[in-house]
Amino acid sequence: MHPFEEARQQLTRRTFLSQAGVGLGATAAATMLDESLWAGPDASALGGLPGLPHFAPKAKRVIFLCMAGGPSHLETFDFKPKLQEMDGQPMPESFTKGQPIAQLQGKELKCLGPQYPFRQHGDSGQLIADILPHTAEIADDIAIIRSMHTDQINHDPAHTVMNTGTSISGRPSMGAWVTYGLGVESRDLPGFVVLTSVGGRNPQPIASRQWGAGFLPSRFQGTEFYSKGDPVHYVRNPAGVSNEQQRKLVEAVAKLNDLRYQQVKNPEIESRIAQMELAFRMQQSIPELMDFSNEPQHVLESYGTEGSDGTFAANCLLARRLAERGTRFIHLYHRGWDHHGDLKRYMEICCGLCDGPAAALIRDLKERGMFDETLVIWGGEFGRTPMFQGKGKDPGRDHHIKGFSMWMAGGGIKGGTSHGNTDDLGYAAVENPVHIRDLHATMLHQLGIDHKRLSVKFQGLDARLTGVEEAHVVKDILA
Amino acid sequence: MMNLRVTTFLILILASGALRAEDEISFNRDIRPILSDKCFFCHGPDKEERKADLRLDLREGAVAARDETAAIIPGKPQESELVKRILSDDEFTVMPPEESGKHLTENEKQLLIQWIGEGAEYQDHWAYVTPIRPDVPTVPNDNWSLNSIDRFILAQIKEQKLTPSADADRITLLRRLYFDMIGLPPTPAEVDAFLADKSPKAYEKVVDRLLESPHFGERMAMYWLDLVRYADTVGYHGDQEHSATLYRDYVIKAFNDNKPFDQFTIEQLAGDLLPNATTEQKIASGYNRLLQTSHEGGVQQKEYLAKYASDRVRNFSEVWLAGTMGCSECHDHKYDPYTQEDFYSLQAIMADINDNDSFKGGNTLPTKREPEIEALSPIDRERLDAVEAELAELEQKLAANEGNAEVAAELKSEIAVLKSEQKEINNRVRRQMVTVSIEPRTIRLLPRGDWLDESGPVMEPSVPHFLPQVEKKGRVTRLDLAKWLVRDDHPQTARVFVNRLWYLFLGEGISRSLDDFGSQGAWPTHPELLDWLAVEFRESGWDIKQMVKLIVMSRTYRQTSVVVTPGLLKYDPENRLFARQNRFRLPAEMIRDNALSVSGLLVDEIGGKSARPYQPIGYYAHLNFPKRTYLSDKDENQYRRGVYVHWQRQFLHPMLRAFDAPTREECTARRPISNTPTAALTLLNDPSLIEAARVLAAHAMEEDVKNDRARIEWIWRRVLSRRPTEMESKVMADYRQNSKAAYAKDPAEAKKLQSVGRAETPEHLDPVELASWSAVCRAILNLNETITRN
Repeated sequence: MHPFEEARQQLTRRTFLSQAGVGLGATAAATMLDESLWAGPDASALGGLPGLPHFAPKAKRVIFLCMAGGPSHLETFDFKPKLQEMDGQPMPESFTKGQPIAQLQGKELKCLGPQYPFRQHGDSGQLIADILPHTAEIADDIAIIRSMHTDQINHDPAHTVMNTGTSISGRPSMGAWVTYGLGVESRDLPGFVVLTSVGGRNPQPIASRQWGAGFLPSRFQGTEFYSKGDPVHYVRNPAGVSNEQQRKLVEAVAKLNDLRYQQVKNPEIESRIAQMELAFRMQQSIPELMDFSNEPQHVLESYGTEGSDGTFAANCLLARRLAERGTRFIHLYHRGWDHHGDLKRYMEICCGLCDGPAAALIRDLKERGMFDETLVIWGGEFGRTPMFQGKGKDPGRDHHIKGFSMWMAGGGIKGGTSHGNTDDLGYAAVENPVHIRDLHATMLHQLGIDHKRLSVKFQGLDARLTGVEEAHVVKDILA
Repeated sequence: MMNLRVTTFLILILASGALRAEDEISFNRDIRPILSDKCFFCHGPDKEERKADLRLDLREGAVAARDETAAIIPGKPQESELVKRILSDDEFTVMPPEESGKHLTENEKQLLIQWIGEGAEYQDHWAYVTPIRPDVPTVPNDNWSLNSIDRFILAQIKEQKLTPSADADRITLLRRLYFDMIGLPPTPAEVDAFLADKSPKAYEKVVDRLLESPHFGERMAMYWLDLVRYADTVGYHGDQEHSATLYRDYVIKAFNDNKPFDQFTIEQLAGDLLPNATTEQKIASGYNRLLQTSHEGGVQQKEYLAKYASDRVRNFSEVWLAGTMGCSECHDHKYDPYTQEDFYSLQAIMADINDNDSFKGGNTLPTKREPEIEALSPIDRERLDAVEAELAELEQKLAANEGNAEVAAELKSEIAVLKSEQKEINNRVRRQMVTVSIEPRTIRLLPRGDWLDESGPVMEPSVPHFLPQVEKKGRVTRLDLAKWLVRDDHPQTARVFVNRLWYLFLGEGISRSLDDFGSQGAWPTHPELLDWLAVEFRESGWDIKQMVKLIVMSRTYRQTSVVVTPGLLKYDPENRLFARQNRFRLPAEMIRDNALSVSGLLVDEIGGKSARPYQPIGYYAHLNFPKRTYLSDKDENQYRRGVYVHWQRQFLHPMLRAFDAPTREECTARRPISNTPTAALTLLNDPSLIEAARVLAAHAMEEDVKNDRARIEWIWRRVLSRRPTEMESKVMADYRQNSKAAYAKDPAEAKKLQSVGRAETPEHLDPVELASWSAVCRAILNLNETITRN
């Protein structure tokens, strides 16, 4: 038997035989109740909350493709012929008066027509702009929501709303909520992973707050994977330490910790031993995860990548590999969608990098029979103004929060559907508006979670991802 | 397995319930928590959300006649509508309603019925009543207690027919004291000296020495900086550096100088408003500037002024009131009497803080957040004053001794040394954001917190309506607000602070909710002790060191954290009685400081610019405006204490993050203590810790000891203060032999290990030996005990 296994079994046995009798420090006792360490030393690797999921889930996991910076809905999924007609004319004040505005503060507001033709695609005939030829191919697999709206008009707070449901710092992100509620399926990989791609134009900054655990136990925070240096912080042995040496070290420490446990009966020690073993296993499993050499050539070609090089294409493939290995929430960021000027030039760059891989991911999931159990979400923290912005050589658009588009696919979502609409100029969501908290409620619903019942006491309040305002599951897009 | 788990859980629940089974009903302890959690959401202070126009947080509301009945008819539970509703099995009338997701347990229902039967007496919420010094209890035949704290603690332990735990052994006690008071371990020599000192004052002598240590201020600052959310970067968007390190040094010095807490409070909130404000007081007023700020393109100034104003009220209430006023930004508080008016009235007090100039920063490092000043840190200032005084004295002497060539030459050389120090200090001028008062902005109540909505009333500056009021004609200023906090009848300030001090030294608060003294917060386990400490603190002249001494001198503090008393765990699993010490993992900074200290790498200078330890490459790849490359310090700054580590809000150093240090975007009164694989990886592989291990190994090899076992013991004592047991020593010796054999086969690998970090080890040491001893040191630095305060 592997020495770790042996040690763990010993510990587990002892834990369960004497749990009521061994020394629970007060801190430990307090965290135990919260952190369900009751499931034994391996709790952090598995188990979710008791009673969850609340009902039969459609999706087991989420892959969130975040297009950071705020892609234009008017050049992707929201076709506005009227805006075309009014290109160059003043934006009617009836739309904009008293509304929040970002960089266009104090500027003359005029309409900017859509920069690309739209066409109907698939059996469903979904309208998608020509700049997204590959997404067009999966038109029948995705549900497009054209009536998204949010609260915050600057990137940083808007991302915070998208991830935590509020712009106030210190709240858990959705990935943290989901792993807290449902636990993880992998014994040796993190349950919540964040991948940020390289390439493209000047990237949006993204704060680690966006995958923070907030007031949830910190082990639910997202783990960042990197394409340069160590794929995960400190996952490589120090120079001059072989795997074998590292294993001997971990064994020696486990033995010494166990000796100490016998003296002081501190249950934290057992947990420490288990976590160190898990850390050691991660040291083996992560390099294997990052190594694409066993992927068939046609898969690599479909995504458009050769290895885990940090491109969005590589990260989409990595997302699938993580999904296969039981990671619960995989959050991809592609930054560079903030097109205040030179909209067309930058749309071509961003779509060129992201369109193909996103479609490849959907196809790949389908081929592997994982599509139905994986919820894929695509979108930015907000959309862009129907109004022209003149930064750069060619026209651009400013930040916009009253109406924008996202898509969802797989995991019990009805493909080939469109939901909601903005007004004639693509300014405000007017038909079936979907707030971020509705998106959250829908996502949780597909995972078998009633958003009202996943709460944690914080500052006296039963805090939830969907907050205190009413949130609704978008039933129309469910299969 | 599942069943066993549930059973264990139940045992614990019942056990904690057993603590109070025979007590009389106390509204604050027994009833308020039920009403607050289960009822106030709809029948509490928030007038917007109140259902059926019924409020249960006030007695007059609860007993008011309604259609020939009343929610509560004192003495008549059977006739009270409340009781009928909570017992109802009709889904339309039962309270709390199904959709609230709240349920009353049978025990809670019985408590409510019993309470109404006994007359439904209400009590003012404990935290809103000025504390009065209670009598210290006496326990017959008490030969345990050493001071008043112990008498309070012992009285409650005895009530439960239990006994306190034995004193911790002297080594554990000394180690505990060092980490708690200065955040560093004792050296083996200090341990030996303490063990050898048989005088009854031996312990107190150590306490007094540590109180005078300049590291005391660093340790206390670690916690205070969490509360006030001190960081080195702006937090939003580009997360550029801003200038705040002088404030950090001010805090360290304030604790070292034992600045009275009232003065400390006033200087931070309103140092700029003090008559003839000194530079130090202006630096202190940097507190008001510590919040997250932005100059992101497209920031609407008005929106951000509103954000900043709210952020300040939130932090103010959390730091000094343990209030959760953030809730009342959008609506009246659901559980506590803070109204939305209270929230915006506090904003109005702070509306004179100049934020207008803070938007002008660019994407430089650091960015500018005017108003700023250029100054010496208070620590440097003090040293400079001393140097200059000495210089003046020496120059006078020189003038008097012109005739004596020998003396003059000596004086001149002394003067030269001091002048060079003077110059060096003057070069350490840094920038600091400060508070500058301008014509106050108009503050309106923002309906639903919406900054675009201008329909709310203009708010006058005032303090929360239900607390003692500032009696003053004219505008209430920040200075008034600060002085109000520390007036004698303030119910919260002293309690909040002593509760947090208690937590730092006992591992738990007397009220467990360090950050919420509202009705959803935890009823103090020892309310009289908390009040006694609060009054003691106030009457001592807000003397922090005196309070620390009082706590660490108590017998309560000195108990062992190992559970030895039979039955104690069963009756008190959460240690609500403090019948033993608590044990906990060290805070992140101390894990770092400990490794640096035992390896001899630590540079223990006080104050200064922020330090940049080694950090994984690419960690800042997410940052932009500007893009940046992290450059770790190539000089002594590499080895400074955790409290000085550059605090990048968006990407806090991964080692600090792995051990639960907060990003400091919001107030943190209690850090979570997690135990994760990420932390284990960090401890295993972080170059700072590897470097510490190999440098410690080099020291160990240079010790003149007779064999491997003795060398292991030397390292063990240095890291853990105690000697290894026979078994531990054997495990280590075997490990060392194994490691040596492996490196002997591959000496090139052995050399590589010495390349981690920039510290050099003596060349004459055999690489294979050094690598295997480094492995031993790594193992010891990775032990749970090494990172635990017992």
